[in-house]
Amino acid sequence: MKSQSKTWNDPILVAAVAPLAIVMLVFFLIPLAMTILLTFQTTQYYRLQWTWDLKIWTEIFSKPHYWTIMLRTVGMALVCVVISILIAFPTAYALTTRLKTYSAQIQILIIFAFLTDAVLKTFGWILVLDRQGVANWLLSYLGLGPEAMDILFTPTGTMIGMVYNLAVYPMFTIYLSLARIDRDLVLASYDAGASRIRTFFEVTLPLSRPGLYSGAVLVFVLSLGAFLEPKVLGGGTSPLASELIRQSFETRVNWPLGAALTIVLIAIGALTLALAAAFVFRRTPAARRELA
Amino acid sequence: MMSQHFKNAVVDTALVGSVVLLLMFFYAPILTLVAFSFTSSRVLTFPIDGFSLQWYGELIRKPDFFPAVINSATVAAVSTLFASVLGTAGAIAWIRYQFRFQNLFRVVTFAPLLFPQLLLGVVMLLWFSVLGNWLNFSTGLVTVIIGHVVYITPFALVIVAVQVYGFDETLEDAARDAGASRWEVFREVTFPLLWPGIFSAAIFAFLLSWGNFYVSYSLSGTARTLPVFVYSGIAVGSSPIYPALATLNFVPALLLVGLAEFLRRRALKRQSTALSTS
Repeated sequence: MKSQSKTWNDPILVAAVAPLAIVMLVFFLIPLAMTILLTFQTTQYYRLQWTWDLKIWTEIFSKPHYWTIMLRTVGMALVCVVISILIAFPTAYALTTRLKTYSAQIQILIIFAFLTDAVLKTFGWILVLDRQGVANWLLSYLGLGPEAMDILFTPTGTMIGMVYNLAVYPMFTIYLSLARIDRDLVLASYDAGASRIRTFFEVTLPLSRPGLYSGAVLVFVLSLGAFLEPKVLGGGTSPLASELIRQSFETRVNWPLGAALTIVLIAIGALTLALAAAFVFRRTPAARRELA
Repeated sequence: MMSQHFKNAVVDTALVGSVVLLLMFFYAPILTLVAFSFTSSRVLTFPIDGFSLQWYGELIRKPDFFPAVINSATVAAVSTLFASVLGTAGAIAWIRYQFRFQNLFRVVTFAPLLFPQLLLGVVMLLWFSVLGNWLNFSTGLVTVIIGHVVYITPFALVIVAVQVYGFDETLEDAARDAGASRWEVFREVTFPLLWPGIFSAAIFAFLLSWGNFYVSYSLSGTARTLPVFVYSGIAVGSSPIYPALATLNFVPALLLVGLAEFLRRRALKRQSTALSTS
């Protein structure tokens, strides 16, 4: 695929770029900028006042309540990343090396599960994890006694929901990385006398790093905004940042506060992305090649 | 030697087993919902008491979810149209052209994919609320559609981009040499070749919009889409009508996903055989 060089005088380029660029500018970039501006305002009697001060930011930085929840959110996100990768890597590896014939069908099944209404799936998890749900029935069937598991409305329940909704992302990024690995490199390693395990750790794993890292970053960033899972499966017992944001809009009708909390989360996510781009991707030659 | 064989067999079994476990994990809530939709009891405990279709009947008798279905269908249809057109144009600009500020364009059009949906919804809600104060409108279906377009277009763009990447531009050159105008080349060559990618992007977009909760929840105001309806329903208390509603929701989605994947793969196969024979 060779690409054509075009200048901005070309009406075709303008037609291809301008509509999408304008939509993203007006409904994504400007709203983002406005959210930042809103954090410097205040509310009085549920009405927004354009005051331009740092009241909201001093409130956020002085209340440990917000920071406990932010830290908990980041902690949950990190755990979610580790579990998601541990689930995603072996399955993506199996799809590229062992199950090639059924890989298309399995991918359709995974895509379907991913695209189905998240509210319904989360509700489905209630029915699975409930004390009289499917999981406990299965456990007692296996002889582990009645109601062996009681994790609905706990952080564990939240985590199951988060991993469930996000593990698909690293699966696909890792799958794409693994599918790209030149089979000859693996065979060359075998020819040179390396064992399967050694080949895996010295050839396959390093070459799959771009997918591994980008999947991990995606899960981390997206799990910062988890809302349904802590609300429905966590039962609201240990709220995450999303719940704080929702409350500041719906219960307290304090837009500047909600905007500021949103910006804090976005900043954590953006910082992670920037760090990943700066350190991790620059160090792996495969990633550099990918970007070039 | 024997032990090496044995070790390989263990690794193979573990890998295949991991995929089986993953599918069980992904389908646990989905199959559970299907099972519960046929319960004859009002309480949602497993194993279900007996088989009945009464909750489907209940859905038909009390169709208070129906306005939400109409809203969801409208939102999904309109945002799919916009997302496919914008995504296709964007994908061509991403892959086929080189221009000043291209990297900026790529970053901006990809960024919503890296955004937690809740935050995307909140950011747009603030913007629409401020705009609404100035211009005197309130959030509703139109703002939901705009939100969905922003969220879904990057997905459509990536899917079409894969198709554009495998595109054989000599076919366009040939059409031009044969005297076709720019528009004719697009209509007769470019578009038909990109169509499978655009089509699967459209189906993906439709389902993403249909099932979207976060963006709709922030932007829908008083108009409710189906996921928002279900969310407010289960917040009050669970009832067997939700599993029945979910099951009805799964069937067309599964058919659409299967169709899209089938068409996409067939087109990719055709393209690769066409390239290898030429």
